[in-house]
Amino acid sequence: MTALKSVALASAMLSVAGAAWADWPTDRPIEMIVAFAPGGGTDIMLRTLAPFVEAELGTQIPVMNRPGASGEIAYTALSQAKPDGYTISSLNTPGFLTMQVDRNLRFDPAAICPLARIVEDPGTFIVQAGSDYQTLADLVAYAKEHPGAVSVGTTGLGTDEHLAMLQLEQAAGIDLTAVPFAGANEARTALLGGHVNVIGINVGEYTTSDQNAVRALAQFAEQRSTLAPDLPTAREQGFDVLMSSERGLAARCDVPEADRARLAQAIETALANPEFQEKAKQQQLPLSYLSGADWTAQMPARLDRFREILAMVKEGQ
Amino acid sequence: MEFLDLLMLGFGEAMTPANLGFCLIGALLGTLIGVLPGIGPTATIAVLLPITFFLPPLAGIIMLAGIYYGAQYGGSTTAVLVNLPGEASSVVTALDGYQMARQGRAGAALAVAALGSFFAGTVATFAIALAGPTLSGFALSFGPAEYVSLMLFGLLAATILASGPVLKAIGMILIGLLLGMVGTDAETGAERLTFGALELFDGIDFIVIAIGVFGFAEIITNLERSGSEGVSVAPLTRLWPTREDFRASWRAVLRGTGIGTFLGLLPGGGATLASFSAYSLEKKVSRHPQKFGTGVVEGVAAPEAANNAAAQSSFIPLLTLGIPSNNMMAMMLSAFMIHGITPGPSVLTNQPEIFWGLVASMWIGNLLLVIINLPLIGLWVRLLTVPYRLLYPAILLFCCIGVYSMNNRIFDVVLAAGFGLLGYVFRKANCEPGPLLLGFVLGPLLEANLRRAMLITQGDPSIFVERPISLTMLVATVILLALMIMPSFRKTRGEAFQEEEA
Repeated sequence: MTALKSVALASAMLSVAGAAWADWPTDRPIEMIVAFAPGGGTDIMLRTLAPFVEAELGTQIPVMNRPGASGEIAYTALSQAKPDGYTISSLNTPGFLTMQVDRNLRFDPAAICPLARIVEDPGTFIVQAGSDYQTLADLVAYAKEHPGAVSVGTTGLGTDEHLAMLQLEQAAGIDLTAVPFAGANEARTALLGGHVNVIGINVGEYTTSDQNAVRALAQFAEQRSTLAPDLPTAREQGFDVLMSSERGLAARCDVPEADRARLAQAIETALANPEFQEKAKQQQLPLSYLSGADWTAQMPARLDRFREILAMVKEGQ
Repeated sequence: MEFLDLLMLGFGEAMTPANLGFCLIGALLGTLIGVLPGIGPTATIAVLLPITFFLPPLAGIIMLAGIYYGAQYGGSTTAVLVNLPGEASSVVTALDGYQMARQGRAGAALAVAALGSFFAGTVATFAIALAGPTLSGFALSFGPAEYVSLMLFGLLAATILASGPVLKAIGMILIGLLLGMVGTDAETGAERLTFGALELFDGIDFIVIAIGVFGFAEIITNLERSGSEGVSVAPLTRLWPTREDFRASWRAVLRGTGIGTFLGLLPGGGATLASFSAYSLEKKVSRHPQKFGTGVVEGVAAPEAANNAAAQSSFIPLLTLGIPSNNMMAMMLSAFMIHGITPGPSVLTNQPEIFWGLVASMWIGNLLLVIINLPLIGLWVRLLTVPYRLLYPAILLFCCIGVYSMNNRIFDVVLAAGFGLLGYVFRKANCEPGPLLLGFVLGPLLEANLRRAMLITQGDPSIFVERPISLTMLVATVILLALMIMPSFRKTRGEAFQEEEA
């Protein structure tokens, strides 16, 4: 009896195992690793998107938060997952790129293949509404006269805002003082209290701030973001500063190519769903879809740029 | 009067059956996750956030707010019953609350905590309604220099937390400061004390240390005892506070409420600082400070009132300026934004029903919490009569689940176990973990703000005495230091006298 049972069980298991590849992705849930804590921008965006991808693939996609070390913990977890297509992860730049410059990574960045870029959110510098600086040029002019006197609130070393500040210093030949804060909200509080002169945030965060209290000086994108069509870019104002946060999804490169294509296809269709677009609009997400291949193609240029900036910092120290 | 009209508008909104229902659901959920150690309101709200898509804006926000202050109530329950503070702000509640439980007065401790919290919540709600916009200006005037002075004051006050020798308390604060340094340095990007472990890049989580040195260490200590009988808990005398308890605690509640309402406004650690400060103040003004830590009711009343008041008043910067003062408030901000509402002055004028509805629902929620929690006290207290061989494995399990679920990694559980052993060693050496935790929480804030202040002034330290708020707090610190040195003289003299008489 027992023997019979175990034979039956074994054959049942075998058939499940045998069917696993054929049934992908419907026979078990696909785990979506999010590299940031619950409630952050990336987390909320992906939790909003997940049900639409679920509908496309006909499977469940539970979200798993693995925050820490600006994403390295999540990317390491992705690299250690089985390459069976049942694990995907969020992917964020500049973190994913800058960590390749200045850290000994515990995973191979080349083994992670982007599936889709979902959002591109340019950086911006904002000041108090009552500030004397109307444009980036005003800020630069003052900083030229008073080296180091202009304090710029950032969210830490090597973050978007910090890299943007370094580019501006380089482009305009000025000296600014970076003041690190624990997060964008703390920096914003310090700005409103007049404790720092300027802070760097993303355009998405700027457009949801109280517009009567703060003013943006420039956005650091090649083209004006759909969220802020009236805000000139830094390049339009004559300063070569490019910095934006990109958020997307990725899988291991050794997941069978057909499965990766199917995942990418499902994400693309989900993103185009009008219902999702409506929710993205409510959340002020600057949607900017790029296919995994196109996004990958852009990365080396960005990486070189970061490498250059960070090398300059090292020299300066 | 316009204010009354607006408040009536708020109550009208909050009293609709649907909104009342969501308020109740939120408060219930909050109590539940507050009681489960490690599972915090931030994670719960993150998971529930997408659900609020489908609710009307006010209903969703009311529910999430209910979870938040409900968790404040629930968190103190485990602190009192099993010495397990669920959040930084209930660490001090465990100091005297757990001792009360061991003396069979768990019911009294829980009731005082609930009633004190309700009173504090009421006051803070009215503070939001009356003076919200004015108070938020105060929060903004706190820059790096002010924080440095406040943290210095807080760290010094931490030595009062310990009932043992001051030297040991200072030692524990220093260990806390050291633990707070673990992680990546925000300014230079250098790794500090991480020993190459990726999991330590962002430092150690508060919950890991709290569950280790309080929860696990408590369980290890109890293993020393012989067996399954409920050794440490005295028979339950009565469920309700005595007249003496009320008499002893009402002033403490008042003072705690004041401190909490004020400090809750400040971004970062406001509620924690509030409960620690309230406890320290209570011990300072008490006629029997030496009894603190042995189960005095003021030691529960003051911090519980303070952390609840702070939880409410931390809504002020969010609602009036659109600035979240902690992670929880950042989640609330996302909840607002999902519904296309940007908190700030414009909400007050354009959508008064949202602001006033929320304010009114907070008061109703606090009332509901008292109604939910008072009858439950009997049930919670009966939990203590469960034999240890059943109770402790269950607590251990919940602790491990809670710690694991923070970042979904086993590393944190192992780390918490290590802190459990460390906490056991501390107990054997008669070192109290309270000051360690405060050092751990305040240390990184002190460091970051000191460096910010120095960066902004480009190395000129005169900013600390030039700014009035900062100067006031530095003076207060010096006075506190003087007060601390003097009574210790008096105390030794007092002891000497007693010996002579004996």
